[in-house]
Amino acid sequence: MVGTAPFPCRTTDYLFLTQCEGWISQNAVYFNHVWLAIMYHFLQTGIHRVRALCRILRLTFLMEETAETHFKQAYEHPNFIRVSLQKKEVLAGCCVLATCRQHSWPIAMGTICCLLEANPRLIGVVYQEMVKTLKIEAPPTSIINLLETHCQAYKLSPQHVHEELSESSKDLTKRAAVLLELAADAWLVTGRQPIPILTASIFLAWQSLKPTQTRLKYTLARFCQMAKVTKSSIAPKRVTELKEVLCKLGQELPWLRGDEVTPQTVIQMVDDILNHRLTLLRRALSSHEEALASESVLPPSLEDSIPGSHTNTTCLEGAVSSQTPGQTPKDPFVGEPDTVSVQQQGDVDLTCTVVMEGLPHTGPGTDSQHSQPSVPNSGKRSLFEPPSVRYAKIRRVLVPVVEVTGDEEISDSEIDSYIRTPQEIRDYVEAKEALASSDDEF
Amino acid sequence: MEPSNDVALDIIITNVVAVFRTRCHLNLRTIALEGVNVIYKPEYGKVLMKLRKPRITASIWSSGKIICTGATSEDEAKQGARRLARTLQKLGFKVRFSEFKVVNVLAVCSMPFAIRLIDFTKNNRPISYEPELHPAVFSTGSLTITGPNVQAVATAVEHIYPMLLECQKPLRK
Repeated sequence: MVGTAPFPCRTTDYLFLTQCEGWISQNAVYFNHVWLAIMYHFLQTGIHRVRALCRILRLTFLMEETAETHFKQAYEHPNFIRVSLQKKEVLAGCCVLATCRQHSWPIAMGTICCLLEANPRLIGVVYQEMVKTLKIEAPPTSIINLLETHCQAYKLSPQHVHEELSESSKDLTKRAAVLLELAADAWLVTGRQPIPILTASIFLAWQSLKPTQTRLKYTLARFCQMAKVTKSSIAPKRVTELKEVLCKLGQELPWLRGDEVTPQTVIQMVDDILNHRLTLLRRALSSHEEALASESVLPPSLEDSIPGSHTNTTCLEGAVSSQTPGQTPKDPFVGEPDTVSVQQQGDVDLTCTVVMEGLPHTGPGTDSQHSQPSVPNSGKRSLFEPPSVRYAKIRRVLVPVVEVTGDEEISDSEIDSYIRTPQEIRDYVEAKEALASSDDEF
Repeated sequence: MEPSNDVALDIIITNVVAVFRTRCHLNLRTIALEGVNVIYKPEYGKVLMKLRKPRITASIWSSGKIICTGATSEDEAKQGARRLARTLQKLGFKVRFSEFKVVNVLAVCSMPFAIRLIDFTKNNRPISYEPELHPAVFSTGSLTITGPNVQAVATAVEHIYPMLLECQKPLRK
């Protein structure tokens, strides 16, 4: 509403608008007070929500105060003062999440989503905006730290379930942690949602701690129902992937003497597999290399002409004792458990090495799509690779496209194909009327 | 393997979003009745119209604002927008093609190495790693990039490449 009408209108309408403008400007102070009162009300509601979330999560008093401070600062910031009520509700949860991360209190974003019953995307947007606005550093929680909190949600004590199915939280956490490290080594964790892999690790840990027939018959869905946790739709896939990794390692146990290890039988061997994880990893990589070398036996002239064909053996020197294809003796199986976890040793270099070599070489003058046509598929070269590499994307076929400038002449004929003829319009209207009348009859 | 500094990266543009205005009111019912490849969504107050060449989808509002998506280059987006404007002219509306602007470009780029995502985010604040949300950077080396135009996307890739290179998975010595 301005002194002069910015658009054509009748004189009477213009006079009415001018009178409204005068009335509002006279009562501006009143409207300002009303607006402030409304904002204060929503601020107080938000603070109550923050306190409620802190009490549900049993945070300390200091953390509760920090979360409240963050909320007040964010709420009064211009970036948030005029956002929708829904975003303001979510802002409370985001402040609690940021506070938990700052105090290394393990909590997943999914937990906040459940408590607020909000869309995870909305929470993500508001959270990132809030962190940027308040200029705070909230390091993400590592998945191992999340594990203990997540385990405690599972009702598996003797008070809740039958003794045969019960398991102590401490043992469950310990076993699941090792499984989680193995999953991380095998590229099952990075870049993926944490809750499904946590659920899968806990489920397999529970089954493997006492692999009785009763437990082995339990499906993931039934386990989640028994433990009174929400089942994730992605968790069964993680269970399958983790079992595949366990099978690959289980195959290397020397006392099996070549017997096949299936996902159904691997659970009984999880204890041995995890105790000798590093040794089994080395043996599995070595066996895989031998298998590849025996499959793709190339003449010496061709081997020299293909770049990278020697590099696999060179890279695994640190991992296996000798590298000549077909003549590689296995590491002697010491039989003692690997007492030092991979993380303590400084990381997962074995699988990293293989992944690097599995990727196509790209360099100047090299077309990555057409290099090494006779070398096996990169997904087969390595034993543990990210699923996105294992199941390679179908390369987009570059269709030759005519140069487009955007200012070309547009011919009538191609536009006419987007417009109905008069006859088609009549037919469409008649059909619509016929459908409408037949619906009325029903 | 040490990637060369002159490595060629494929940046594939997957979507270009553009807007323009017709500077006249549009009767959505007329467009739905007389147009082919049209979906009328009265609950949202808009009409969707799809063109075959170029392959774009346009959301048309009665105010005359139109958003085009699906093009794979900025020029293609403009070509599609102009064809759409001509189609509306043929339907009888006094369309004037104006305020054309590319508002978003989505591209995918694949790095020739795997990436330690956690190290990458730790070493390059304020980049954040939230696996519960869309990662945008995948540990296999693929990135999705959005920007206001193609040049901005290419600049973003040039900027981020050295940062990713530092966090590639190392060879075991």
